[in-house]
Amino acid sequence: MLKKRLIPTLLLRNNRMVKGVEFDNYQDTGDPVFASKVYNSQYVDELVFIDIDATNESRSTNKEIIKSVSKECFMPLTIGGGVKSIEGIRDLLLVGADKVMINSAAYNDENLIKKSSEIFGAQCIVIGIDVRFENNEYVLYKNSGKIKLKTKLIDHLKRMEELGAGEFFINNITNDGVMKGYDLNLINIVTSNTNIPVIASGGAGNFKHLVDAYKSTSVSGLAMASIFHFGDNNPIRARFHLKNNKVNIKEV
Amino acid sequence: MIGVIDCGIGNLSSVKNALYFIGAESIIIKDPSLIKSMDKLILPGVGSFNVAMKRLTDQGFVSEIKDFANTGKYILGICLGMQLLADLGNESGITEGLGLIKGKVEFLKSSDLRIPHMGWNGIKLNNEHPILNNVKLRADFYFVHSYFFNTDSVNNILTYTDYGFEFPSIVCNDKKNVIGIQFHPEKSQKQGIKILQNFLSL
Amino acid sequence: MKEELRKCKKCLLPETYETLLIDEDDNGCNMCKTSTFKKEGIDWDKRKLMLDKVIEKHRGKHEYDCIVPFSGGKDSSYTLYYLMKEYNIKPLVVRFNHGFMRTNHEKNTQRVLKKLGADFIDFTSNWKIVKKLMFESFKRKTDFCWHCHTGIYSFPLQVALKFKVPLILWGEPLAEMSAYYTYEDDVIEWEDEEKFNMVRNLGITADDMWGMIHTEEDPIDKRDLSPYTYPKLEDLQKMNYHSVCLGSYIPWDYKKNTEIIMNELGWEPDELEGVPKEINEEGAKIECWMQGTRDYIKYLKRGYSRVTQLTNFELRNDNMSVEDAQRWIDNFEGKKPASLEIFLEYMGITEEEFNSRVKDFIVPPFKPNFEDLQTGKPAHDMDEWYRENNIKK
Repeated sequence: MLKKRLIPTLLLRNNRMVKGVEFDNYQDTGDPVFASKVYNSQYVDELVFIDIDATNESRSTNKEIIKSVSKECFMPLTIGGGVKSIEGIRDLLLVGADKVMINSAAYNDENLIKKSSEIFGAQCIVIGIDVRFENNEYVLYKNSGKIKLKTKLIDHLKRMEELGAGEFFINNITNDGVMKGYDLNLINIVTSNTNIPVIASGGAGNFKHLVDAYKSTSVSGLAMASIFHFGDNNPIRARFHLKNNKVNIKEV
Repeated sequence: MIGVIDCGIGNLSSVKNALYFIGAESIIIKDPSLIKSMDKLILPGVGSFNVAMKRLTDQGFVSEIKDFANTGKYILGICLGMQLLADLGNESGITEGLGLIKGKVEFLKSSDLRIPHMGWNGIKLNNEHPILNNVKLRADFYFVHSYFFNTDSVNNILTYTDYGFEFPSIVCNDKKNVIGIQFHPEKSQKQGIKILQNFLSL
Repeated sequence: MKEELRKCKKCLLPETYETLLIDEDDNGCNMCKTSTFKKEGIDWDKRKLMLDKVIEKHRGKHEYDCIVPFSGGKDSSYTLYYLMKEYNIKPLVVRFNHGFMRTNHEKNTQRVLKKLGADFIDFTSNWKIVKKLMFESFKRKTDFCWHCHTGIYSFPLQVALKFKVPLILWGEPLAEMSAYYTYEDDVIEWEDEEKFNMVRNLGITADDMWGMIHTEEDPIDKRDLSPYTYPKLEDLQKMNYHSVCLGSYIPWDYKKNTEIIMNELGWEPDELEGVPKEINEEGAKIECWMQGTRDYIKYLKRGYSRVTQLTNFELRNDNMSVEDAQRWIDNFEGKKPASLEIFLEYMGITEEEFNSRVKDFIVPPFKPNFEDLQTGKPAHDMDEWYRENNIKK
């Protein structure tokens, strides 16, 4: 049976990892290549790297990071942040990324999604979606939560899937870094409006949050960062806790 | 020397990195005439069956690979590479495969499980093979695919995997020198690396 | 409070014990199973022969036959004793000194080293830096011992490189007390970078830590992090390093080991904060005066502490009844240590700030009760411990 996935997220800024709260107040949390080695020794299921600055300079640094990581970490690697062209996607896949996450660019360049899915395969294309809950509905944001959009969540999900997306990576900005649990309502809305795998991010503070999200939604995987950076937790402990609570996760 | 076939559509760096990690000497093969001088071949692959077969055919890889298989030397197909070893593929029309292992590639859809089959899943042993020596069979491996290798030849099936129904996750030919793995050993951490090490020692 | 935690029916370890898997069919656990496997499933004669080979391979070929990382506690003292008695080797004994060594413990160190006779390097790192590291580590993990975990496992390897001594022999294997490594895997446990990243450094490398504590207002010299830096793999491999646990070659028996060092070397146990003498006859964890606070944090987060850790070994080895163990646990666990104020002084925080930080790290399903905690008896040598005398009110 297919297992639920445990996916640490590594936010990148200036060659370092950072972690913030609600997309603000970022703190340094270490070196991404070292951190990847640590996660690798702890048998995580995948790694997701997101460059929160996504400038031109940082793009070549990101390629170096992926290159170094893929030499020693033999598991799927996803990278996102400023991805907006076919060449950009190809470059990242060639240095060792398995999947590429597209967020802001998906809103104004549908052709990018369609073409990249055709050329590289749907399984390489992850659509990242950031939302906030405002006035009783989920509102989409782009550019690291800075620009509000009129596009509706469900319309966006269906359109992206139509164009050939392979996976969704959904994040509630209000929960991000707060460590009080995932937005289960959001996860349920997304999973019931798409047929492709869904990874949820934002809110994990302790292992109970993971158990709750895995057991009361049909999410395919959970992404997390603060729980490991700011908690006395590691993925191996998480794995045992999940097993004790009957969540189906990977056997090593 | 292990030859890693580059037919232009796959990401080869993961396989290359894994081979380097286990100390295997390998080269990327863009020129099919180099195939005969290799000790072993790896056929990785990501993408679609018909596009891949078209490139293999156009670039002259098909007969070289078939000849290589006939010599008894080992070939390992990974993911799409495993599917290409079949007789036929069913993605966007029917395409002929390399025909090295009896079978047909079909769409994975069954019940309402999500496609692609993406993530970690287990394997159940059906037939033994040295490529699985000392591999922890209760471990999970990383899968990402929407099509599967369908065959009735139970003797050719080394392991099954369950995704709504049981499909072959590792297959091999009658002579046991051509092996196809649906999951990505180069992405399956310690146990996957062990499989590659075993392939190296075959 | 405690009743909500599921526990193994035999050894009483709770579900919040890291890497514990409770078997829902019989309410046993993986730690009990591994104890049985250790006795019945491992060919210890074969393992001993492997150790003979390893020792002979390195004997006489370098300035020392091997490095023995040492704290002076029961495990490293036994390791040193065993290797010297059994094999008559010339070791270099290396201690990364965390800076909190208790007096009786220092007496033990003298006894062990003088009775056995070996060269000894004892290194204590810069206290001002240590305080910063403790604070950062406490802030991010509520485990303030980062400098100790990383120093203990990095520094001896650095010494091995400097003296060009490839064989490093550690003591007990992790398989004794967790499932990060298991006896069932049937491998010799190494102390290598993979283990360092997996369990030792709390996921924070020296380089990460530098980035975390270095600021423009308070810049840190990168060299100050070198005692905690794991050496480069290429350098270790060039030397053909062999960094393994003695406990993978001989079956580890705390009781027997401690009896031997007590009889042969005059090693003595000591009293721990919050732990009755009767159940710590083996003298676990007597080397560090921060033990009380460390165990207290564990209790607040996970609902168990040193008493449970000690009784579980007795229970797994059928040396104690469940009723007796539960009585010790009920009467001694869950008290605030008298030495907490020393920790608060070092960190420059109040008890409220301490509680508020720990609250965020509680491991579900445990829920501690901060109101009803009694303070325990101070340890007999608390007056001898270094004070900063700057308690924040």
